[in-house]
Amino acid sequence: MTDTNLVNLTIREAAAQIERSALSPVELTDAMLQRIAHVDKTLNAYITVCGEQAREVALAAEKMIRAGYHLSPLHGIPIAIKDNIYTRGVRTTAGSKILADFVPQEDATVTARLKRAGAVIIGKTNLHEFAWGGTTDNPHYGTCRNPWNPERFPAGSSGGSGAAVAARTCLGALGTDTGGSIRLPSSVNGIVGIRPTIGRVSNHNVVPLAWTMDTVSPMARTVEDCVLMFEIIAGHDPLDDHSALAPVPDYRGELGRGLRGLRVGLIRDYSLSHVQPAVGDTIRAALKTLESLGVEIEEVAMSSIQGNISAQLTIESCEPSTYHQEWLRTRATDYGDDVRTLLELGEMYLATHYLQAQRYRSVLRKEFVDGFKRVDVFVTPTLPFTATPCGATKVVIENNREEDMLSAIMQFTGVPSLAGLPALSVPVGFDAAGLPVGMQVIGRPFDEATLFRLGHAYQHATDWHMRAPSL
Amino acid sequence: MTPSEPVTTESIDRLCALAALPVPAERRRGLALMFADLVAAANELSRKMADARHRAIVPIVRFPER
Repeated sequence: MTDTNLVNLTIREAAAQIERSALSPVELTDAMLQRIAHVDKTLNAYITVCGEQAREVALAAEKMIRAGYHLSPLHGIPIAIKDNIYTRGVRTTAGSKILADFVPQEDATVTARLKRAGAVIIGKTNLHEFAWGGTTDNPHYGTCRNPWNPERFPAGSSGGSGAAVAARTCLGALGTDTGGSIRLPSSVNGIVGIRPTIGRVSNHNVVPLAWTMDTVSPMARTVEDCVLMFEIIAGHDPLDDHSALAPVPDYRGELGRGLRGLRVGLIRDYSLSHVQPAVGDTIRAALKTLESLGVEIEEVAMSSIQGNISAQLTIESCEPSTYHQEWLRTRATDYGDDVRTLLELGEMYLATHYLQAQRYRSVLRKEFVDGFKRVDVFVTPTLPFTATPCGATKVVIENNREEDMLSAIMQFTGVPSLAGLPALSVPVGFDAAGLPVGMQVIGRPFDEATLFRLGHAYQHATDWHMRAPSL
Repeated sequence: MTPSEPVTTESIDRLCALAALPVPAERRRGLALMFADLVAAANELSRKMADARHRAIVPIVRFPER
């Protein structure tokens, strides 16, 4: 098989070939490393490439599988990990100068679970510094770029993971999502990403951003591949006090159930409001496809949804600023200016601002819980716009009016984060410039299975996820 | 400070002093401009949440389902 064919395999396809020894993990890993060498000078998706270690693990996987020991569908599969997730013996910078030389002595729980499943950790991906931002314009490790158009941003903060997957330099990646940091880069890079229910996946040994909203989860080119990774990392972790006890369902078993009778909710004056025309048109076309697959679409009113941006900015400012208090006083000049500014601002809110924002989350969550009595999932665009030029701090969504990037980017992704709900981003098309559009599907607590089922059925009916950037 | 007062560089000075946060003087004007918008929105949300109909609402500390 040519290297081009190899890098275009999905996890499922590669896993099937590896299991029957028709494909060597060493050959697959080498193809990925060559692909990284070819494209990453342009994309800057990686901070650390684990070349030699990856080859060693791939060789060990090959020997084990030939001896008849196949650990999991991820055995021998090259996976990248966002660089705020601990990897034992491999530097974990969190995209920062402050942690530039930090080498953890332990894995994160999610890293350990991937390794036990036999995954090949191919590298650590670039991110917005300390995950506090949505562009992955990193002043210490370089600007990460979008494989569909390298003059455009890959979003963030898991921009490196998003670009790495879309550019076929790994078969899947881990990201983290606080206010949208998996979903946003998934959308603009044309891949799939899932934000899990709070507590569904362990946060142990992941550098925090905002404790009450942080999650870790996979990003991949297909929903099925996301499921293969998610099944490995999900589940209770005694090392994480906030880890959920809820049992992990058979996600793969649910995938093929079809969508007939599934009820999809659109939030009135919100789901399709204030979006670029191409985004709106693409989402409407995706909804038509879902209707052809048997879903029923209903409009639902949510009166509390308009306060979500302020609540998100308040919580996502105060919590990181608390974590960074010492460094902000001793190493302030080692931060990039944008993150330093946000951390300084986070120290200025009143306690009542923070607590009122946390009370708002209860109100928002209750509206969603009430809404889930009428529908099974809610749909919005993942972002109201497609990828903007690298370095942009403003964006035009409608009426030629420039808006601040940070609040505009979280228009739709902040809501499930605040409400503690799972949310999937799935690619649903491209704008006229060839830039991907993503659709966000929000589910009930611990009902990732329905999100996966919907996304999987959609991908069976469409081929957006099979298109590749021409790098 | 009250909600009706504009956020000024002096406001930032006082907040930095209270927080023992050594922000250089040249950064404080920019912070004042940004915080003015942020605190206005936060105050508006606080006003809504302080309404009597929300009196029984508790903050999200940990989600109930585990």
